Amino acid sequence: MPYAVPFMMLGAVLFGIGLVGFLTRRNLIIMFLCTEVMFQGVLLNLIAMGLRHGNLQGQGFGLFVLVVAAVEAGLGLAIVVLLYRRRGTLDAESWRTMRG
Amino acid sequence: MTSGGWVYVTYTVAALGALALYLALPRGRASHRTAGFVFGVASMAGLLTVLRYGLGDPAASNLYFLILSFLTVGGAVRVVTHPKPVYSALYFVMVVLATAALAVLAGAEFLAAALVIVYAGAILVTYVFVIMLAQQSESAAGALTYDTTAREPGWSVVAGFVLVATLAGVILERPWPAAEGEAGVAASNALSIGREVLTRYAVSLELAGVLLLVAMIGALAIARKPVPTDEVPPPDETAPPGETGRRVRPF
Repeated sequence: MPYAVPFMMLGAVLFGIGLVGFLTRRNLIIMFLCTEVMFQGVLLNLIAMGLRHGNLQGQGFGLFVLVVAAVEAGLGLAIVVLLYRRRGTLDAESWRTMRG
Repeated sequence: MTSGGWVYVTYTVAALGALALYLALPRGRASHRTAGFVFGVASMAGLLTVLRYGLGDPAASNLYFLILSFLTVGGAVRVVTHPKPVYSALYFVMVVLATAALAVLAGAEFLAAALVIVYAGAILVTYVFVIMLAQQSESAAGALTYDTTAREPGWSVVAGFVLVATLAGVILERPWPAAEGEAGVAASNALSIGREVLTRYAVSLELAGVLLLVAMIGALAIARKPVPTDEVPPPDETAPPGETGRRVRPF
């Protein structure tokens, strides 16, 4: 099972970077891009687990994760466009009234 | 070096990387780009060293693997830290392509092709399109303030460091014994994965198709709806006359 453990490590690093970006950036679109970076980390992890067990279940599950990522991007960006048309800005801080 | 020693090396590298990320995050005029770059180079070298020597995997000495790891992590850092959204999206293309190449290295050719087609082809086009559609013109001082000022960079970096250090510690501490069960990946990856998806996961495949359809209809329903802007609020009898904008009543 070459590459399995290095891929897990890379996946962890990608997930961490994406998390930091999601927490710090204020642009709604960039926040979504950071979730996609986290998805890349998850995909690497799935490939690694498939390698470790020597079967194709990891890759098959990765394909379904890809479908969910596409769905998430489509719906999320539709909502972003909606929010932009409402406020005229992509700043996440302009929706801080939802904080209560 | 023992595995216990590598754990502490990895923690140090993660701390260095967190510091680099903290310094490199856009923070208006008070950015520390150069210091962030220096720490970033140091932590990247540390990460590649850990990947190469610390995980006990002889395959990780492959030069392509190290280069692709560098491109993936470096691109991800630039996605997070670049103050201009279009450049973030382009760096994300780099991350996707490098990840796809890594998948090819691991023998997952079909997943790599799907990554390039779906992510770099479809999702990224949607992102760039929305950025073009919704991006405001830049002010005279340069980029927009909400792109150039990070929100709570310190605590976020601490959270990211804790997460990565925990995951790396678990990965390094566990023995990861050799693979059991089915032998190796089949000769033709696309053929075997197609067989897998269409037999064992046939129901899931149909569900994925339904999910895509539902999402498409949902996105259309969301995007078509006319939206009142907050600057010109819709007439509302219950609102006091002078109040306009900036406050949204629930329902």
